[in-house]
Amino acid sequence: MNTRAPMIEFQDVHKYYGEYHALRGITATIRAGEFFSLLGPSGCGKTTLLRTIAGFEGISSGAVLIDGKSMENVPANKRPTNMVFQSYAIFPHLTVAQNVGFGLRRDARSKAEKDKLVEEALEMVGLKGYGPRAAHAMSGGQRQRVALARALILKPKVLLLDEPLSALDKKIREQMQVELIKLQREVGITFVLVTHDQEEALVMSDRIAVMFEGEIAQLADPETLYRRPNSRRVADFIGVMNFLPASVTGEANGHIQVEAAGLGAFEIEAAQASAAPAGGQASIGFRPETLTILYEGQTPLDRETPGTIEEVVYYGDMTYYDVKLDGVDVPVRISMRNVFGRPVLDIGTRTRVAWSPGALVLFR
Amino acid sequence: MKLPSLRIYAFAYLAFLYAPILLLPIFAFNDGTIIAFPLKGFTLDWFSQMFANDTLGRAVRNSMIIAGSTAVLATAFGIFAARAGTRFSFPGKGPIMGLIMLPLVLPEIMIGGSLLLVLLAIGIELSILTVILGHVLIATPYTIAILNTAFASLDRSLEEAAYDLGEGKLSTFRLITLPLVLPGIISSMLIAFTISLDEFIIAFFLAGNEPTLPTYIFSQLRFPKQIPMIMALGTCLVLLSIILLTIAEYVRRRGLKKTGAKDTGGFL
Ligand SMILES: Nc1ncnc2c1ncn2[C@@H]1O[C@H](COP(=O)(O)OP(=O)(O)O)[C@@H](O)[C@H]1O
Ligand SMILES: [Mg+2]
Repeated sequence: MNTRAPMIEFQDVHKYYGEYHALRGITATIRAGEFFSLLGPSGCGKTTLLRTIAGFEGISSGAVLIDGKSMENVPANKRPTNMVFQSYAIFPHLTVAQNVGFGLRRDARSKAEKDKLVEEALEMVGLKGYGPRAAHAMSGGQRQRVALARALILKPKVLLLDEPLSALDKKIREQMQVELIKLQREVGITFVLVTHDQEEALVMSDRIAVMFEGEIAQLADPETLYRRPNSRRVADFIGVMNFLPASVTGEANGHIQVEAAGLGAFEIEAAQASAAPAGGQASIGFRPETLTILYEGQTPLDRETPGTIEEVVYYGDMTYYDVKLDGVDVPVRISMRNVFGRPVLDIGTRTRVAWSPGALVLFR
Repeated sequence: MKLPSLRIYAFAYLAFLYAPILLLPIFAFNDGTIIAFPLKGFTLDWFSQMFANDTLGRAVRNSMIIAGSTAVLATAFGIFAARAGTRFSFPGKGPIMGLIMLPLVLPEIMIGGSLLLVLLAIGIELSILTVILGHVLIATPYTIAILNTAFASLDRSLEEAAYDLGEGKLSTFRLITLPLVLPGIISSMLIAFTISLDEFIIAFFLAGNEPTLPTYIFSQLRFPKQIPMIMALGTCLVLLSIILLTIAEYVRRRGLKKTGAKDTGGFL
């Protein structure tokens, strides 16, 4: 399969619920065979956008194309998509096998062939032999597998998943994340996942669209999204980022001169700056793991700035330090991997923090 | 809870409720026309007299037709209204739903009277059809109330899932919605049937010359000689109600068990 070909295209999609403007000009392309996530806070329109693909929600203007064909006037039951619902929507009065085989009812194949497909689908999601059981008696994780098998048995071009893991507890959720990635690679179907959990999106997706208030704020692969968020808002939503006030003093030949209190003057590459200058006060952002506390005798790779530890949060494998850098008003959060033989530092310890202009992002 | 007075109250309440009903079979088999103790002897005369009575037979047939039709029609209307009320929002929904539920609190004598006037004015002949019309009118609010609960507890995404898997709107309703609200539908039919079966005022106004069970019984109460036969009739009706309720409750519980839904209270 050509993974570059577009599978779903949104062309300036708007959606109104009465007066409420739920989708505000969505333009994006989801490629065939990719694991795509819609990520954003609750109420930003992720589900609405997903439902415009499924055909449950009409759009007010614009166009949704699937595999090059406009979906205008194509009802949900005629679209090449299937959905895993947030509540799983398992039919409680049917058996597991009847649930999984539900979509085959209109299929011309013989009963024996259908039974075989159902059995295969169940095996694929790790529920071999569960067919005759009552669907309502399944646990949350099992229901989710039934919903997956039921949606995948029709071999849709696109599988839509609306927060499929949010109802599961942490252990099962993490296990299902891995299984879903494997499954997607195995079947090669385009997956579109809705989630409000940034970690889940980063772990699972080939590409992610971050949404706020009915708009896509940034669409990128997980690494770009994490390392080069295009706005403070995206940076804040995905992981933790330290923001420090800064000012741009010059700009030439693809380089930008920046000055920040406490850190002095330095130069970054133009690619490190978020897209559109909004004017006003600029700021720079550091991820906690790009800052390092230097122990006795260690020398920084790039630059160092002295500071005082104000807070220590111990996580077992990691320790988070809030460090007040000299000359900087707000403390910065630094995450350090705990290494054998290196003690966790105490509050009040004077320390040196290593940092590098190459690791920061400039917002302006 | 250990207070004896509370226990006495509970027993008194139950006695008040059921003692009169227990008297029905006692006097239905009593060999005497006077409803009083001491009992005389055992007889089946009143039952044979009951089965031989042609007018009563007609009344029973009429009542069954009316109650059956009312149960089906009122429940069908209830399904439409409850589904619309729980699924869609449309302008004026509140007032419309309110108006539909209003007959619940309107005095039946007003409904019966005004219906009679309208029917006479537009020249429709009174028959059991007109009684069905009136009964559907008063039973529908009850069926809506019951079915609203059934539809409201139905996860909307179940229907969407069936539609998403290729079914049409109608087959989705038949395959998913209907089986899941079946317990509610059974309760609804049962209530509508019962309301219609013992409804007197509207039947009295709108039946024309046709007897129904309540109007026939009322007309016979004037003749003391007929009272033991009415007792026999009452015994049969109580028996019928118990059988009906048992069947309905059985089907309802089976439906609940099949879907694993929580039992929110039935009739038994
Ligand atoms: N059927 C609807 N009628 C009116 N408003 C709706 C409807 N569905 C969603 N909305 C509104 O649209 C916004 C986006 O909803 P949704 O797409 O469900 O958000 P998300 O899935 O990102 O949490 C919310 O503010 C929600 O209240
Ligand atoms: Mg949602």
